Amino acid sequence: MKRFVSLLLVTLLVLSLTACNTASKQDTAATTPNNQTATENGGTEQKSGLPVLSPDNPVTISVWTMTNYSAPSADNKLSKLLKERLGVTINYEIIPPENADQKIGVLLAGGEYADLMGTTDLNIRLIKGGALIPLDDYLTEDKANLLYEHVKPYWNRLATDAGDGERHIYVLPNYNRYYGEIVGGTHYGASGFWIQKHVLEELGYPSLENMTLERYFQMIEEYMKKYPTIDGMPTIGFELLCAPGREWVLTNPPQYLAGHPNNGGVVVDENNVATIFADKEIAKRYYKFLNQMNAKGLIDKESFTQTNDQYLAKLATGRVLGMYDQRWAFGQAYDSLVAEGKYERTWVPTMPVYEGCTPYYADREVMNINQGYGISVSCKNPDIVVSFLNTMMSEEWQKLFNWGIEGEDYYVDENGRFYRTPEQREQQNDLVWRNKNKLEALYDNMPKIQGTYSDGNADSPGNQPEEFFDSLSDYDKNFLTSYGKKTWREFLNQPPENPIYYPCWNITLPEDAQVVSQQLTDLALQYLPKIIMADPSEFETLWAQYVSEINKVDVKVYEDAINAGIQERIKNWGN
Amino acid sequence: MGVKKRKKVDIENIIFTTLNTTYLIFLCVVMIYPMLNTLAVSFNEPLDTVRGGIYIWPRKFTLYNYYVVFNMDTIYNAFYISVTKTIVIVVTNLFFTSMLAYTISRKEYIFRKFITTVFVLTMYFNAGLIPNYLLIKKLGLLNTFSVYWIPNIVSAFNLIVMRTYIKTIPESLIESAKIDGAREFHIYWRIVLPLITPCLATIALFVAVGSWNSWFDTFLYNSARQDLSTLQYELQKLLSSTMTAGTRGAPAGINEAGRAGTSGTGSGNVTTPQSIRAAITIFTSVPILLVYPFLQRYFIHGLAIGSVKE
Amino acid sequence: MEANSAKKRKSVWNTIVAQHELIIMSVPLLLYKILFSYVPIAGWAMAFQDYKPSIRSFWKQKWVGFDNFVNLFTGLNGERFLRDLKNTLGQSFLTLLLGYIGAISLALLLNEVKNTTFKKIVQNITYMPHFLSWVIVTGLVSTMLAIPTSGGIINDVLIRLGLIDEPIMFLSEPKYFWWIVAFSNLWKEMGWNTIIYLAAMTSIDPTLYEAAVIDGANRYQKMWHITLPGIKSTIVVLLIMNIGHLLEAGFEIQYFLGNGLVVEKAEIIDIFVLKYGIQMGNYSLATAAGIFKTFVSIILISIANFIADRLGEEKLI
Repeated sequence: MKRFVSLLLVTLLVLSLTACNTASKQDTAATTPNNQTATENGGTEQKSGLPVLSPDNPVTISVWTMTNYSAPSADNKLSKLLKERLGVTINYEIIPPENADQKIGVLLAGGEYADLMGTTDLNIRLIKGGALIPLDDYLTEDKANLLYEHVKPYWNRLATDAGDGERHIYVLPNYNRYYGEIVGGTHYGASGFWIQKHVLEELGYPSLENMTLERYFQMIEEYMKKYPTIDGMPTIGFELLCAPGREWVLTNPPQYLAGHPNNGGVVVDENNVATIFADKEIAKRYYKFLNQMNAKGLIDKESFTQTNDQYLAKLATGRVLGMYDQRWAFGQAYDSLVAEGKYERTWVPTMPVYEGCTPYYADREVMNINQGYGISVSCKNPDIVVSFLNTMMSEEWQKLFNWGIEGEDYYVDENGRFYRTPEQREQQNDLVWRNKNKLEALYDNMPKIQGTYSDGNADSPGNQPEEFFDSLSDYDKNFLTSYGKKTWREFLNQPPENPIYYPCWNITLPEDAQVVSQQLTDLALQYLPKIIMADPSEFETLWAQYVSEINKVDVKVYEDAINAGIQERIKNWGN
Repeated sequence: MGVKKRKKVDIENIIFTTLNTTYLIFLCVVMIYPMLNTLAVSFNEPLDTVRGGIYIWPRKFTLYNYYVVFNMDTIYNAFYISVTKTIVIVVTNLFFTSMLAYTISRKEYIFRKFITTVFVLTMYFNAGLIPNYLLIKKLGLLNTFSVYWIPNIVSAFNLIVMRTYIKTIPESLIESAKIDGAREFHIYWRIVLPLITPCLATIALFVAVGSWNSWFDTFLYNSARQDLSTLQYELQKLLSSTMTAGTRGAPAGINEAGRAGTSGTGSGNVTTPQSIRAAITIFTSVPILLVYPFLQRYFIHGLAIGSVKE
Repeated sequence: MEANSAKKRKSVWNTIVAQHELIIMSVPLLLYKILFSYVPIAGWAMAFQDYKPSIRSFWKQKWVGFDNFVNLFTGLNGERFLRDLKNTLGQSFLTLLLGYIGAISLALLLNEVKNTTFKKIVQNITYMPHFLSWVIVTGLVSTMLAIPTSGGIINDVLIRLGLIDEPIMFLSEPKYFWWIVAFSNLWKEMGWNTIIYLAAMTSIDPTLYEAAVIDGANRYQKMWHITLPGIKSTIVVLLIMNIGHLLEAGFEIQYFLGNGLVVEKAEIIDIFVLKYGIQMGNYSLATAAGIFKTFVSIILISIANFIADRLGEEKLI
C-alpha cells in the first residue's frame, strides 16, 4: 500500500510539472480570417512587395502536411541551411495519409490550422470548408513572381470555387507542372501488361509492336511449357490482384485494350461523352479471355485471395511471367530481384490492344489540382509564408531539395552536367540518411520545378539520363540494346497531348455519384473474380448476372456527374 | 482397497498431467509462432523478406531495421512521454476505478444502480469523432499532456470487473469495520484495496497495455506538439514513411516524381513496410511484455482473502 | 397519500445523509463520466442532419429527420446493410463462443498446473499474440491458409495426412469465412482473455479445496464444484457485457482477409460504414449506423441482464 501511495504522489508531481510545462508552451495561434493585408510587422519591404526573409529576422512557420515522408531529424542539414540563410524554422505536423480523412474532419470542425496546410488529395475539403485563403493577390509579377510563373499558364484550371461563387487559387500544385524538357529513364506511373525479360530473351527478343492479348498470353504459355518450374517452384503465368486499394488492377485494363487512356471507370468518346465500360463489350471480351486463360491454367489460382504482401512475395521469387500493374506498385518486388542480381526475372511493359486500336497506355502526367500547400485562415502573417514559398521555388533551392549540396551529394562535370558517384547514389536508399540530409516531408507538397532547370540538368538525379544509364546492369544494357531502346520509358507509347478534361478519375463527384461509383467497384470485386475463375461454360450466365446487377445501380447519376465535370472543365480550363 | 484406490488416482493424475502438459505445450508452440516470426522478419534483410518464406529464423541477417528505428531522433522523447503517460493512467485509473467500484459494490448504496447504468451504457455508444474533439477543444485539453489521462480516469469495463471481484469479499469484513466506526474511505483504502490486489494487478495490466498501444489520441489531439508525441504515434509515422503511395487507392494516378522508388542497386539499406513493422512491433512489445511477469506475483492463489481472515 | 410520499422523501433524504461518504466518493466521478461520455452525444444530432463539418455551427446544419436511418435500411444499400448485419452477428457470435470456451478452459487447465514456473511460462507465451497488430496476424493467417507452394502450412499438413488431395482454397470459399474469423480471434486473444479468469480464481478461498479433498472429491469434481462456481460471476458478467458487443465483430480482420469471392459472408457493418460513410465524408450516415448499433446493444444487454437476473446469477446492472 505504501508503494501505491508513493506512486500516486510521484504521479501527482509529474502531473503538476507537465501542467506547468503545458501552460508555458501553449499555442496561441489567434485566428485572423482572410487576413490578406496583414503586413504590419513585415520586416523590410522588398520591391516585390513581400517581406524578405533573413536570419536577422527569424520566423517560425508551422506546417501541417499529409505525407508519407517522415519528419527530418533534428540535425538535418537543409533545415540548418533554411535557418542560416533565411532565418526560417519549420514546425512540422506530419499526418500519415491513411488517417488524414478523420483529421481533416475534426480540423474543419475545430477551425484552427497551421500556417501552411498541405494535402495530397483532400485539399478540396479544406477549400470548401473555408480553411484556406485565396492567394490571387499574391500571385502577381511583382509579388510572388516565381509562384506566379508556376501557376500562370494554368490559372483557369487551378481556380476553384470555395462555395461563394467566385473562383480563386487556394492551392499551389505540387506535382507535374513541367519546365523545360521531360526526361527520365523509368516511368514509375506506367501501366502495362508486364512480361518477364527472360521470356522475351528466350523467344529471341520478339517484336513488341502491335501487341495483342492473344500474342501476350501465347508467349507466356510457350515459356511456361518449356519451364514449368523456376528455381524449383512452379511457374506462374499471369498474376492478378484485388487487395484493398488495388482494385483497379482488375478493373482498369479494358479501357487500355480498347485504346483509351486511364479515365478511371469510364471511357470518353470523341464527342467528350463519358460512359462506364464495366458492362460493355470491351470489358466482356477481356474477362472472357481471362476466363479461358484461367481454364488453361495460366492464371494464378490465388489471384483474388492473396494480400498485397503475398502478391509481392510471388513476384519477388521471379517465377511470375506476367501481370497487369503499374510500375510503382510492384517496386519492392522489382528491387528484391535486382538485389538478388536476377535481372532477367524483372519485367518490361507491353501494350496489348484490340485490333484496330492504338495503344494509349502512357499518358502525359497530369498536373495535380487541389494538391499541395495552401495558406490557412489561421496564419497570422501570410506575407512571410508566401515569401518563403516563393523563395523555395528558386532553382537554387529546388536543386538543394532534389540534388542536395554540390560537392557533398553530387558533382558537376566540365560540361556543367550533374552526376553522382555510386556511393552518393547508394546513400539515397537509406531512410536514416535521407532524414538527415533531405527535407522530403516539407518538399512533398511544395510546388516544384519538374523537367529540366535552365542549365539543362534534370530536375532530380533519377531523371538525369546519364545517371540512369550508369545505374543499369550489364544484363539490362544488353537487353535494351537488343530492342534498340535506351530507356524503359521507350517501351511505352509516346504520350499524346492530353484532352483538356483529362483525367476523369480526379473529377470531384457529388455524394450520390460517389455512392454509385463505390457500388460499381463493389460489384466488380464481387463478380469479376467469380467470372474469371468459373468454368468457361458458365461464363455467359455469370456475365449476364453481373450486367443485370450493374443495371440495378443508378449508373446514370455517375455518368452524368462525370459528364458535368468534363463539360465544366472544357468550359473553364481553356486559357 | 485403500492402496488400490490411491493407485488409481495416481494413474489418473499422471494421465491428466501428461495430457494437460502436452496440450499446453502445443498451445505455446502455436501461440509463440507469430512473435517468433515477427522477430525473424525484423532481423531479416527487407528485400529478402519480400520473397516470403521466413518462418522462425532470419535467412539474411541484418540489423538495419532496428538501425532505422533507433535513428529516429524523436522516439526518445516519445518513449519518455509514453512511459509517463502509462504510469499516470495506470495510477489514476486504478485509484478512481477501485474507489467507485467499492461504492457500487455496496448493496445498500442508493445510487448504486443509477451509477452502474450510466457507466455500463458508455461501453455501447460513441458520440463520434467530431463531437468528442469539440468537447476536448472546449475544455482546453487540445495539445496538452492532460488529454492523455483526464478523459480516461474511469472506464466502465474495468469498473464492472472490479465490482464483481469486490463482491467476493465476505460482507462480514465490511460490516464489522462499520461497527467499529470506520469511515467509508477508510474501509475502501484499508480493507478492500489490499484484498483485491490480484484484480488491481489485472486492471493495471489492461490499462497499461491499452495506454501503451494507443496512438489515435496523440494523432487526434496532440499531433501539433512534437514534444508530447508518443512512441506508438512516432512509429506509426515511421511505418507510413516506408509505404509506397497508393494506399489511398486513387483509381490510377500516381506522382512519379514524388515516389522515385528505390532505384535498387542491390544495397541492403532499403526498408519495406513489412520489415519496419516487424521491428517496430518487437521494439514496442518488449517493454510492455515485461509488465506481466512483474505483476504475476499478485496472482498467487487465495493470497488476499486467506491472509486477512485470521 | 401525501404524508406517505413525504415520509418516503424523508427516508430518501435520510439515506442520502447516511450515505454521504459514499456519495462524495462516487458522484464526482459520475459527473465526470457524464461530461466526457454523455455531453458529446449532442453530436448525435448529426444523424438527423445532412452534416457538413465546414459549417461550424451545429444549428445551421440542414435537418433531414430520419432520412439517414431510412437510407440505411431501405436506401440504395438496404439489402446489403441487412446482409452485413447478419454477417456481423454471425461472426461475432462464433468468435464469442470459441473465445469463451478457449479462454475458460485454458484458465481451468492452467489452474491445475502445479509447477509455477511452467505455469508462468505458459501464461507469458499464450498472451503474446495479443501484442501483434491485425496486419501481422492476418498476414500470417492468409499465408498459412494459402496453397502449399505459397507457404500454406495447413493445406500442406492436410495433404500429407492424406485427408485431402487438392489444396482447399480456404479464403475463396464463403462458407469458411466466419470460422476463419473466429479462429483467428481465438489465436490472437485466447491467452489474453484468460488473465481475467485467472485473477478471478485468486478470490476462491483455498480452504474450500482443502475441505473438498477431505470429502474425497477428485480433480474434476473440484473443478466443477469449486473453481467454476468461484469464477461464475465473472463469467456471467463478462458474457452479458460481450453480448452487448455482438455488433462489434472487429474491423481489420475482415478488411485484410475479405475479398470479392467471399464478400457475401465477409462484409460487416463497420466496413460498410467505412466505405459509404467515413470515406465519403458522410458523417451523418456513419452516426446513424452508430446510433443503430447502440440501440441494438442496449436491447441485447437488457435481455441478457434480465435472463441472468431470472436465473439468479450475477447481474451487470
